[in-house]
Amino acid sequence: MRMLLRPLSSLRLTLAGMILLAIGAGLSYGNPMNMPVWVLVVPMAVLALNLLSAIIVNPRIHRRASLLVFHLGLLGVVILSAVGFLTRYEAHVELLQGTGFSTDGLFDQRKGPWHSGELDKVHFVQGPYTVDYAAHMMRGHTRSQVEVPDGRGGWETKVIGDDRPLVIDGYRFYTSFNKGFAPILTWIPDQGQAVTGSVHMPSYPLFEFKQDNSWAPPGGPQIKFWLRLTTGMTDKQSWVLDGSKTQGVLVVNTASERKELKPGDRVKIPGGTLRYERLSTWMGYKIFYDPTLHWLFVTAIIGILGLFAHFWRKFGASWASMGRVSGEAVARTSSPRGNAI
Amino acid sequence: MSEISTATELPWLWAGLAAYALATFIAVRSVFVRGQSAGAALNRAYENQVFLFIIGGVVLLGAALADRWLRIGHGPFVNLFELLMSQLFSLGIIYGISYWRFPVIRPSAAVALPMMWILGIWILLLQPVDAPFPPTYSNNWLWVHVGMGKIFLGLSMVGTALAGIILLRSNQRLAASFRHMPSDTVLDHFAWRFMLLAFIFDSLMLVAGAVWAQDAWGRYWSWDALETSAFLTWLALGGAIHARLTYRIPIRAGAIFICIVFVLAFLTYFGAPFYSQAAHKGVI
Repeated sequence: MRMLLRPLSSLRLTLAGMILLAIGAGLSYGNPMNMPVWVLVVPMAVLALNLLSAIIVNPRIHRRASLLVFHLGLLGVVILSAVGFLTRYEAHVELLQGTGFSTDGLFDQRKGPWHSGELDKVHFVQGPYTVDYAAHMMRGHTRSQVEVPDGRGGWETKVIGDDRPLVIDGYRFYTSFNKGFAPILTWIPDQGQAVTGSVHMPSYPLFEFKQDNSWAPPGGPQIKFWLRLTTGMTDKQSWVLDGSKTQGVLVVNTASERKELKPGDRVKIPGGTLRYERLSTWMGYKIFYDPTLHWLFVTAIIGILGLFAHFWRKFGASWASMGRVSGEAVARTSSPRGNAI
Repeated sequence: MSEISTATELPWLWAGLAAYALATFIAVRSVFVRGQSAGAALNRAYENQVFLFIIGGVVLLGAALADRWLRIGHGPFVNLFELLMSQLFSLGIIYGISYWRFPVIRPSAAVALPMMWILGIWILLLQPVDAPFPPTYSNNWLWVHVGMGKIFLGLSMVGTALAGIILLRSNQRLAASFRHMPSDTVLDHFAWRFMLLAFIFDSLMLVAGAVWAQDAWGRYWSWDALETSAFLTWLALGGAIHARLTYRIPIRAGAIFICIVFVLAFLTYFGAPFYSQAAHKGVI
C-alpha cells in the first residue's frame, strides 16, 4: 500500500497540482458558471489525493502533530468544499409585502445533485422595507422587516438586510438590489367572483423610467399599466426609499381608453371592473444553502492554527534570539533534499 | 480643488510622508554612500534616526487616518486614496516593529523604504475624494480580513527587502554596501521565515474574507478579480514554499521567487480592485 502511495505523495506532484489549480483559477476568473467544472475539480482531486498520500506515508508530516493538523485541515477544506458544491442550493424569489414565502415563485434555481434540504418547510411573511440611498444613487442599508414563526405559535419580527441574512433551517435569505412596487388590484367580472392580486412593476429605482407591466384578467382584455411614483428620489442628495411614504398613480391603458387611478378608484373595462386597491411593495431575495459552511470555517481555522503552532515550535526560539545574534545559527538546518525554512 | 481644500487630513499625510522620506534618505545614504566610503553599514546613530522617522511617519499617518475618518465618517476601506494611506500606515508599523525587534535586518531599510515609496508617490497623485461606504462593508469580518491582509503584506515586504539585498549583492559594487549584513544563506533563511509567517496571515485573510463575502453577498467565493488574484498569490506563495522544500533552489532563485510573490500580492492589493469596478461588488 505504502509503495503505491509513495509516488502519489510526491512534493513534485503537489507542485504540478498547484500549477494546474492556478491555471483553473485563472480560467474561472470572472466567469465560473460558464467554465467546465473539471478545470478546478481535476487539480483539486489531484491535490487531495496527493495530500492524503503524503499524510499517510510522509513522516515529516505525520510525525509532527501541528504540521499534521495543518495538512488535515487543508484536506478537510478541499473535501468540505466538494461536499458543499454537491449539496448547495441557490435561487431567487420576489415576495410581496404581506405574503408568506412559498417555493412557487422561485427562479434562477441551481441545485447540487446531493441537495436534500427542505425549503418547502421554510415559512416567513414579508413586511415593509426601507432602503437608504446616498447622493448619486449609491445604495446604502436595506432594512427589510419579516415575520418569522417563534416556535410557540406566535410570530417574531426580524429586520434583515444585505449583510444580515435571515437564516431558517440552513437557508440564508439575503435582500438584494432587486425590489420595487406592486399595485394591488381587484378584478370584478360582470359575472362571477371578484379576484384580488398584484402586478409586480420592474425593479426600483433601477428601472424608475420604466414602471410598466401588463395583465389580462380572467375573461378580460389585455391591460397595460404604468405606475407614476412619488418616492422623493433624487440623485443630488441622500434619500430613503420607503413604501409607506410613497404615492403611486396607476395609469391604465386598454384598447379604447386611458385612465389614471388613485387608490380606491375603479375603471370599467369590457368584461368587468378593475379597482386599484392600494400601492404595495415587493422585495427580491437571494437564497443560499450550504450545509458545510460552519464546518468549512472551523476546519480552515484549525488548519491555520496547526501551521502557526508548527511555525512557533520550530522557529519560535530562534526568532526570539534573532534580535541578539548575527543570525548564522538560524541557517544551520537543512533538509535532505530541499532547503529548510 | 474643493476636495483638497476640505481634506483636513492632507497636512498630516504630507508630514507623515516627509518623515518616511527622511527615514528613506538616511537609510539609503548610510548604506549606499557611507557604506562605500567608510566601509560601514548603518551605525547605531543612523539606525536610531531611521527608526525614529519611521515611527514619526506612522504616528503622523495615524493622525491623517483619524482626521479623515472623523471627517467622512468611515474607515479607510473604500477607494484607492484611502487604501494607499492605510497601507503606508500599516507597512510602517510592521516594518518598524521588525526593524526594532531584529537589529540584524536593519540595513534592509535601504530596500524596504524605497518600496514603500511606490505607494508614497502614488498617493500624491490622487485626489482625496470621498466615496460612499457600501452597506456590505458594515461587517466586523471586514476588519479581520483587512487586518490580516495588512500583516501579510507587511511581512511579505520585509521578506522581499531581505531577498532584495541578496539580489543586490550579486552586483559587486552594491555588495560592499551590505557587507555588514549576515551572509546570503542567513538572509535567505530570514526571508523565507518572514514569507512563511506571511503565508499564515494570507490564509487567515482568505478565510476572514470568505466569511465576510458570505454575509455581504450571499456567497463565500465567486472568482471575482480580487478573489482570483488573492488565491493565485496564496497558491504562488504555497508553491514557492513547497518548491523550496522539494528542490535545492539556489539562494538567488529563491530570492526571485519571493520577489515574484510580492509583486503578485502588490498587484492583488493595488491592481485587481481597480482593474474591475466590480472586483468586490459592494464597492458599487
